[in-house]
Amino acid sequence: MRIDPERCRRCLECLPVCPVGAIRLQDKQVFIDQDACVECGVCARVGVCAEEALWREDPLPYPRIIRAAFSDPLHRHESTEVLGRGTEEMKTNDAKNEFTADVIGFSVEIGRPGVGACLSELDKVTRKVMELGGTFADYNPVRALMADGDTGALKPEVLSERVLSAIAEFTTPGERALDTLAALLDFIEAELETVATVSLIVRNQPDGTMPVFHDLAELGKRRGFSPYPNGKINLGLARPS
Amino acid sequence: MTHTLNRTGLSPERPGQEIVILIMAHHKIKADKGPQMVRAAETVLKYGPDNFIGLPLGLTPEQLIPLAAHTGIVTAVFRDLDTAAALVAELKAQENGVSVVLSGLFDDVRDVCRRVGLTEHTTHVTAGVFGRTELLPEGLTLDITTQCGHALVSRHYVADLVKKIRKGKLTPREGAELLAKPCVCGVVNKTRTAEILDRLARKGAEPPLDPTPAFRDATRKGDA
Repeated sequence: MRIDPERCRRCLECLPVCPVGAIRLQDKQVFIDQDACVECGVCARVGVCAEEALWREDPLPYPRIIRAAFSDPLHRHESTEVLGRGTEEMKTNDAKNEFTADVIGFSVEIGRPGVGACLSELDKVTRKVMELGGTFADYNPVRALMADGDTGALKPEVLSERVLSAIAEFTTPGERALDTLAALLDFIEAELETVATVSLIVRNQPDGTMPVFHDLAELGKRRGFSPYPNGKINLGLARPS
Repeated sequence: MTHTLNRTGLSPERPGQEIVILIMAHHKIKADKGPQMVRAAETVLKYGPDNFIGLPLGLTPEQLIPLAAHTGIVTAVFRDLDTAAALVAELKAQENGVSVVLSGLFDDVRDVCRRVGLTEHTTHVTAGVFGRTELLPEGLTLDITTQCGHALVSRHYVADLVKKIRKGKLTPREGAELLAKPCVCGVVNKTRTAEILDRLARKGAEPPLDPTPAFRDATRKGDA
């Protein structure tokens, strides 16, 4: 994002709305730290600047455009045609049956909540996922960033780009899910310079129960975390009646 | 996108506080589901949500309903289980053939399912946040900022509005309306947000400080 110094009246109302604190005051001028800015567009969109001094270069050059693609939900990914940085994942599982009794889904979202991340951090995660034998979702913007689908390595020119968050979405066989989770948590705690939110997608039993939740809670007791008491549940209404 | 997955601040000790609904047509059938998405959007809005997709951008219900055919997605926030159950029952009866996802406490969603004769199909559950968690703001601020799945609600904005509420320049509800604006999906629960802002404003301590020194330095009084 950019700020027009001729229009800016230095009211400072835009400073706090930036999720990553990239708008700052220096030498009595408001400026946007271009390295920190993730091109989410919030500052220009929420109407805090009466002078309309905030604007975005259009089109953003590559690879900077990746920041907007992952941080601005109004930016449509060319690779998925989905608004935002992820996929339909479990939201349409009743229509596509990707996650089954034998296939568990994982979402590892780097930078969330609200810290942000350099894509070099995502590169660490994608490589680790491949090492662990995960299968990446085809329909995910992260796939478009990969230079090598076998190792999970991202394209070198994107590694220094910063985003609000990016989601590595992949699946593992059900019997390996908890081992994969434990290995991922070890890796995240040891290697990442940001935060990561880790979640699982599980196909419920015919009676609606989810035995994996019990196993997850047990793993949490041993490792010192508690699965959230809330989440997302697909109700299965897309199935042919 | 994991949209409403990682919200903090919901507790089984306070059931029925929040249910977020998402209706989505799988991309392979979206082109054929326009009329069903329009009907679903009309139905959702009829039940008076606290917030809905596009509202933060200034969209009216009349504008949102036809858009649903093209976007293939509707989201909305509800604040009681009776309303959520009645809405889901009506959507079930419509047999739109599109996906319906509820976000909330697992017990609350199970309650809604049992009331309308459904069983959970697929669940997305969060193990937690890991890594450099010392970079996160304190808990009540997270309870607000994590409501936007795209992380567009700034912790600095929360702190700024808490200060203004303390000074009597804003009410908590007005603060919640402002904090809902960055979240274009319309999934911020404005009622819960206002309650949290009220709690933050009543706390004796200063609003939560940001760990970024540059931001604090930049906003010191007299710097402008």
